[in-house]
Amino acid sequence: MKHEIQLIVNGETRSLTVESQQTLLEALREDLGLTGVKHGCSTGECGACSVLLNGEVVNSCMVLAVEAADAEILTAEGLATDEGLHPLQKSFIDHHGVQCGYCASGMLISAKALLNRTSRPHEEEIREALVGNLCRCGAYADIIKSIQVASRARR
Amino acid sequence: MMISRKPHVIGKPFPLIEAQKKLTGVTCYAGDETITPDMLHARILFSQRPSARFRLDNLDAARHFPGVAALLTGQDLATRMGQTIRDRELLAVERVYFAGQPLAVIAAETPEIADEALALIQVTYEDLPAVLDIEQALTPGGPQVHPDFDDYPGADALNADPQQNIAHSLTFTRGDIEQGFAEADVILERSYTAAHLQHAPMETHGGVAQRQPDGSLTMWMHLQAPFLQRKIIAQALHMDPAQIRIITGCVGGSFGGKVFVSVEGALAAIALQTEGRPVRLLLTREEEFAGTFTAPAMRAHVKMGATRDGRITAIEATYDWDVGASVDAALFHLQAVALAGTGPYAIPNATIRSRAIYTNLLPSAPLRGLGIAQVHWAIEQHVAELAEMLNMNPITMRQWNLVKGGDRLFPNFTMHANGLQTCGLQVIDAINWRPAAPAHSYHAPPGAAPKKRIGQGMAIGWSPIILSDQCGSSVSIRIDKDNLCDIIVDGVDIGQGLYAFVTQLASFELNIPVEWITVEPTDTANYPPDWEATYHNLLWSTGHALLKATAKMKRQILTYLAKVWKEPISNMDIVDGEIISYASRRRFPLLDLLENGAGEETSPPVFSVTATYRPPNAGGSIDSLLQSFAATAYAAEVQVDEKTGGVTILKLAAAADVGHALNPESVKAQIKGGMIQSVSFTLLEEMIFENGVPRSNNFRDYPIATTADMPQQLHPIVVEVPQQSGPYGARDLSHHVQVGAAPAIANAIYRAVGVRIRDLPITAQRIYDAMQAKRAEEA
Repeated sequence: MKHEIQLIVNGETRSLTVESQQTLLEALREDLGLTGVKHGCSTGECGACSVLLNGEVVNSCMVLAVEAADAEILTAEGLATDEGLHPLQKSFIDHHGVQCGYCASGMLISAKALLNRTSRPHEEEIREALVGNLCRCGAYADIIKSIQVASRARR
Repeated sequence: MMISRKPHVIGKPFPLIEAQKKLTGVTCYAGDETITPDMLHARILFSQRPSARFRLDNLDAARHFPGVAALLTGQDLATRMGQTIRDRELLAVERVYFAGQPLAVIAAETPEIADEALALIQVTYEDLPAVLDIEQALTPGGPQVHPDFDDYPGADALNADPQQNIAHSLTFTRGDIEQGFAEADVILERSYTAAHLQHAPMETHGGVAQRQPDGSLTMWMHLQAPFLQRKIIAQALHMDPAQIRIITGCVGGSFGGKVFVSVEGALAAIALQTEGRPVRLLLTREEEFAGTFTAPAMRAHVKMGATRDGRITAIEATYDWDVGASVDAALFHLQAVALAGTGPYAIPNATIRSRAIYTNLLPSAPLRGLGIAQVHWAIEQHVAELAEMLNMNPITMRQWNLVKGGDRLFPNFTMHANGLQTCGLQVIDAINWRPAAPAHSYHAPPGAAPKKRIGQGMAIGWSPIILSDQCGSSVSIRIDKDNLCDIIVDGVDIGQGLYAFVTQLASFELNIPVEWITVEPTDTANYPPDWEATYHNLLWSTGHALLKATAKMKRQILTYLAKVWKEPISNMDIVDGEIISYASRRRFPLLDLLENGAGEETSPPVFSVTATYRPPNAGGSIDSLLQSFAATAYAAEVQVDEKTGGVTILKLAAAADVGHALNPESVKAQIKGGMIQSVSFTLLEEMIFENGVPRSNNFRDYPIATTADMPQQLHPIVVEVPQQSGPYGARDLSHHVQVGAAPAIANAIYRAVGVRIRDLPITAQRIYDAMQAKRAEEA
């Protein structure tokens, strides 16, 4: 069955037609071309497809597109503004928070959600916030450092 | 050897060039390849049995299912694949040799249609005896994994005993092993095992293939070794390698799992059947686990003898590897293991065997660490136990026996100055080593409350850097007004920072701004059909090729202006993007030259060079291709909960001798990543098979390290003992950083609770059971 829905993605209202069984991940990647949202497992175990749904981190492979109707979605593509990269993105570049890069957009989203809650998180809080985002390159230490530095740079 | 003449580039932090694209979601990975909107989607039918004859029925229903464009089975395409030995079929023909073997491949309008159509195919298996582990494989008179082994192309190249399921066997000997054991005062014999592991890249295998109007095939693939894959696929499909073009892109993790051909052969084959419509294949996570490769499991037996004063006189070690149903991808692994098999010790009498054993399990491919990590799992526990038997400090014992510069190890190889001692000393320093800490002995009286106990352990390791015949590299540079400086390398950036390295070096050597340089992804169309570029040791091979190419390029640019200026180029140089003459003090910005030419030549010039590097002893024996040994060391401080056997790593230090850290922060990032991955391999990871069928098909059943598993303290240490023949004295890092973590952690656990775990992974259950057994023994 097809459904007409609207999503507010990265600040922009988008209308699309989705199938009942279509996941938010598929809708974002295939219908809206937001391929920065990565497919890693389809079972909510790896976090590569993390997006913010009304401010909360979700694995977009575990959410049906119809469930997300009218919600505000933020993906890694929406972090940078006309003024340039988001402080998290800059910090990940400067502190080697990315190796192969496949987990990077999910990591950024989890980090963004954390910084929305806590402006100056402790290392322990960052570890906890990232526990659902797998990085096979093992870049966790530099990812944590990137987030710490970005949080300190923020006003 | 050239050492930094412009220290603001070489030896200083340099960000990863690709990082910005990766962090803004722009980078294209396998699943993002969209060649045309009407692309077809491929799905593969995988075998569910490890050893069986099989029949496929109802194929016509699948073939004619609405939306299906093409279907292929082994009956349509009976062909074999492999680099050295073609011991696997592209699609199974009459029997299956492992669960996860492709039986059929289909292309359809959507992945869902493809799945529906595949589900119509009825597979009937007639089970045959299966060989499921090394023990069973080596039992005389047991079933044979490959009864037709001798007929496989390339079988002659191997030292095999197919009846015993030995696919290949390598032996290195020196000295007189019997004499060596006769001189020993103590002899220790132990067995060690290590589980099958998964590469588990976050990006699953995938790509797009399209037949071109001239019958050739273009593949957009995200893999580590495009030239090797081109060769293997072309051979399997009876095509000229020139007829296959592989365009590479960013790789979302490989760790060795995207070097050899697994499902790419099926993708290529089906794309030849779809009348030019491109076909995309993207594996699910389950297929990534159960349908590509594992890393081989190990069973090792080590016998070592030493004199009372701690001199190791002899070692006899056999490393058996369960390579699954195909040895082809594991041959390089076997060589590395044989060369590293004594551990980093100058033992005068040694016999080292490295054997690949066929089983009816998923084929194995090299994994970061190349088996050398598992060799040290055995050796570095063994030496620690031997030291204890001799009542010696294990560090002193190691120091006395370590290989030194000048030691002659193999007929063609004399050890160079190395960082073994330094790495060892630095790691123990980093965790505040307590030298006098005695090995814990379990003395808790019955009924005493269990405690959390702390222990420290360390390990030293070495890894051979072997430049195989396929370790050539080619670099092309083009400088013109449109693209400024475009560089094409034949290696692939898999996240290790190859493109950053190339940019950094080219900027330094050509003395031009970093911003002018673009590194283009590899496209096999730019190389001769027989080109075999390296896919490992890129710093070495690509580094040498790049040094040659930049020197040629600089000469070409200077020669151009030298003609105009009528000066010898010996007086000229490029400095910060300007061509200058030291003699006439003239200057000419390179950008102006590219825009307008110079003198009479008013058309914009285009400068273009290609340079190739080949390993010095290509075609020689293994030990003549051995370039150097990289040194590493690990030290760990762990806390073991006696109640549960659970391990917390409090401190982990790793030192790696990289010769010369060209990009120190990047080197440290690689070391830290390797440390986390090693912790994961050591404590968490084990590929489980149930009656030969992979049961670890997701991240719940095959957990990998998360931020929750990180050691509380990480100490990455860079050691620099220049590699005389390496670019700028540098040495590759890659595999070596995996070596030593597991035994250091095991030695620390022993110090904490007095039990030795000799089977990887070190699970809480294993520690708990060992403590129980020890308690029972002491009671």
